[in-house]
Amino acid sequence: MPLAQSSTSVPVVVNDDLCIADKGCTVCVEVCPLDVLRITDMADGRKTAHMEYDECWYCMPCEADCPTGAVKVNLPYLLK
Amino acid sequence: MNNLFEDFNDIEMLAEDLQSTDAGERIMAVIELTDTADPEVIPHLATAIRDQDINVRKQAAIALTDFDGVSTAAALVGALSDEHAEVRQAAAVSLTELKDPDAGDAIIPSLGVDDEFVLVSCLAGIKELRRADAMGPAIEALKHHSASVRCEAVNVIGWLQDKTSLPALRSAAGDNDALVRRAALTALGFNKSDHAEQILVAALTDSDWQVREAAAETLTKSGSAGCVPSLIKLLEDEYWQVRLKAVRTLGKLDARDAATLIGEQMTVPVPNLRKECAAALGVLAVSDTAKFLEPYYDDNDPDVRKNVRWALEKIAHTA
Amino acid sequence: MDEIKEGIEQIECDVLVIGGGTAGPMAALKAKRKNPKANVILLDKANVKRSGAISMGMDGLNNSVIPGYATPEQYTKEITIANDGICDQAAVYRYAEECYGIIQELDSFGIRFQKDNNGEYDVKKVHHIGTYVLPMPNGDTVKKALYRQLRKSRINIVNRYMATRLLTSGDRVAGAICVNTRSAEFLVVKAKAVIMCLGAAGRLGLPTSGYLYGTYENAANSGEGYAMAYHAGAALANLECYQINPLIKDYNGPACAYVAGPLGGYTTNAGGDRFIECDYWSGQMMQEFYDELQSGNGPVFLKLNHLAEETISEIERILHIVERPTRGHFHEGRGTDYRKQMIEMHISEIGFCSGHSASGVYVDENARTTIKGLYAAGDMANVPHNYMLGAFTNGAIAGEDAIDYAADVDFAAFDEADILAEKTRVLAPTRRDDGVPPNQIEYKTRRLVNDYLQPPKVTAKMELAQQRLAEVRDDMNNAMYVSNAHELMRSLEAASILDCADMAAHASLYRTESRWGLYHNRVDYERNDKDWFCHTLLTKGKNNSPTSRKEAVKPYIVDIADDEKDAYNHQRVTAAE
Repeated sequence: MPLAQSSTSVPVVVNDDLCIADKGCTVCVEVCPLDVLRITDMADGRKTAHMEYDECWYCMPCEADCPTGAVKVNLPYLLK
Repeated sequence: MNNLFEDFNDIEMLAEDLQSTDAGERIMAVIELTDTADPEVIPHLATAIRDQDINVRKQAAIALTDFDGVSTAAALVGALSDEHAEVRQAAAVSLTELKDPDAGDAIIPSLGVDDEFVLVSCLAGIKELRRADAMGPAIEALKHHSASVRCEAVNVIGWLQDKTSLPALRSAAGDNDALVRRAALTALGFNKSDHAEQILVAALTDSDWQVREAAAETLTKSGSAGCVPSLIKLLEDEYWQVRLKAVRTLGKLDARDAATLIGEQMTVPVPNLRKECAAALGVLAVSDTAKFLEPYYDDNDPDVRKNVRWALEKIAHTA
Repeated sequence: MDEIKEGIEQIECDVLVIGGGTAGPMAALKAKRKNPKANVILLDKANVKRSGAISMGMDGLNNSVIPGYATPEQYTKEITIANDGICDQAAVYRYAEECYGIIQELDSFGIRFQKDNNGEYDVKKVHHIGTYVLPMPNGDTVKKALYRQLRKSRINIVNRYMATRLLTSGDRVAGAICVNTRSAEFLVVKAKAVIMCLGAAGRLGLPTSGYLYGTYENAANSGEGYAMAYHAGAALANLECYQINPLIKDYNGPACAYVAGPLGGYTTNAGGDRFIECDYWSGQMMQEFYDELQSGNGPVFLKLNHLAEETISEIERILHIVERPTRGHFHEGRGTDYRKQMIEMHISEIGFCSGHSASGVYVDENARTTIKGLYAAGDMANVPHNYMLGAFTNGAIAGEDAIDYAADVDFAAFDEADILAEKTRVLAPTRRDDGVPPNQIEYKTRRLVNDYLQPPKVTAKMELAQQRLAEVRDDMNNAMYVSNAHELMRSLEAASILDCADMAAHASLYRTESRWGLYHNRVDYERNDKDWFCHTLLTKGKNNSPTSRKEAVKPYIVDIADDEKDAYNHQRVTAAE
């Protein structure tokens, strides 16, 4: 069966201006029990964390452990 | 697959990054130093907690939670006066995680300051270290204008469990702030003297229900037969939470005179209270109180049922 | 990103601990401390820093047995009754004897338990029949404190490797095969002893929100422990005794019987009337809850709005700060305030979790499974109603026993062909050009679990489940497709979930009686103590499908009086006279 992509709104939001992924920080990526966050390159060449997979238990370590307060966990739309 | 295991990096190499001109790199250095779990990183973290960047300082304050001893404490006490609230808060939390009594050497001198936040944090930090030399400054802090300070000071005194503190606790039990009164009353639990009991009994008529509750609860721990009449009066309190604690204490004190009044509370539709009454009636085992329990042999609450059946057996056994 | 790479590496150790949540770190620490020269490896498919059920902490202990407040005898009796009599008491009793030492040890790690103003443990609800609740005011620091100890003890930690199968040699464990969750590279760990601490099977049923990860349990706990134990030939006990918990509707945080109950909060129907007196989680209580939900009086609510302001603030502080901080956001989003409205509740999806019920890998009082050298602890091991402190305590027991076992034996030889076969199985979805993605396999499995396996349990429905699940299995084996290493991890989880669904169906059909209230309410059978006062043990049969047998409950070491046995029956409030 061929595959199709469908859009989904994701609960974890990262403030690119505060994120220090550029400096080698991967704290949020590492602490996620479901491994849904990744570091990505932005258009201006800097790096930032973002939610790559919509598989979130909204458990919050990414927000709590972020050293610059860049991560915000919202409730997934389906259950809020 | 070179990095199969979590690594234990060289501390001096990691510390070099604290000199970086980039704040992000310095934050990462703090995180990696922390993960070594090696006390040798404490001096580096103590430097980082005075960094020019607020996030580096905050991370260092959080990081010091993982360490102990006097230099950790000194760095944290310094950060209590940081210009940024987030750093101050993080340092205050880390201070309460100290376990080594020697760490108190760095806190005691600050117990004389007037700043509310610093004082509250230092009192909270010294409490669990149980330093006898904190008693004097803690008693002094009872005069502070801030109720939060007075509350923490009472806690420090209570943890020391020293009977010479009774006059101080007595005056705190008459504080105009209800939280301070509650703290002082629970702090009295270690002492079984008449003096302590008088203070607790007097508080059973406090205007604040949580203060009355705290006094009744503390008497479970330290009260004697002398407080029974006052506890019996408390069975008319408008708050079931207060009555519940009175019932518990009356059971513990073997107050057989109170059995009928406790039995009459069984009709109150709060299972928490019924459970407690049944337990107390079982302890008291007064034969003609079985009639209060029998209707609840099949109570819908398993805990009530369990206590009722247990109590009825005790009463039958005594008869 | 998450590109699939070829690669396989082999390492060896004395004791391999799989799962770094709660039981696992304690097992690894205890093993290492008992024999500092031993090579102990702690492996996790996530990162040990924040993995497992207590990722963000815990608000208290439900089952602390502290001298002066409760005794091991009382506790063993309570658990036996709460578990409807089917319980090997030796493991419960040993837990009860040792857990206080563990509390003190955790305290020394910096995990804080509530103390009164004299610095003594502030156990709630003091009476002689036993009291077990010890709040944890700073419970959010649990994982941090554990991690600090692991680092100090220089435990070898391997993150982001997911164990997929155990290696065995005859009736002994020989190690585990693992795969990297970001690169699909393989790791073979030869081990003299293996301790499984992989948590509950929490992604078995589908939550009512329909969001795959909105589960009661940490969604990372997808039942690998159950599946691996099964494929290795270990026995699993009483899987039909599902975990089902009361929840805030849509928000999968618990409905806080332990927090709100002692403070006067309770469960009501839509009319604000109490219909159960006791919110202690038991299968019988859940049955009443379910009946009310289905009735004209439903739905069900948590009522706090009658409480004093001081009490409500205290409840908010505990519930919104410590265990699940998003709970506050959730209520805010819905505009619910404990002071004004009642909070709508529901029941959770089903799962396996002995921590709250009794469905787990069969272990004895030393945490040993039925396979030599293989241990299980925590939510996946069948010591009933064990909760977090049980995971710590039994993890400690497993660690200490396993390190001794490892000292006396050499590595067990295993068949290299097993590795090749597992590699082929794992990588099959990467060898296709298109097909069904793992999330669809998982969704369908879990939707079928809800349609046919969740109670009330009906024979014909469960047989239909078996047919439909077999079709899904066929698709999984022949048509599942993944495009990267992350999806590969999800495909392996989907396989574990499907294994657990098959086991749930088989175990539920096997026990032809009703027991544990809603957990195993077989509406076409009555309770039958004569034939079913026994464990049911499920193993992998000769035809590679589940087979079950009865196992006698070991003689009680603490007697239960006849009038105590029904302690959890009939909890419904009787009509007012």
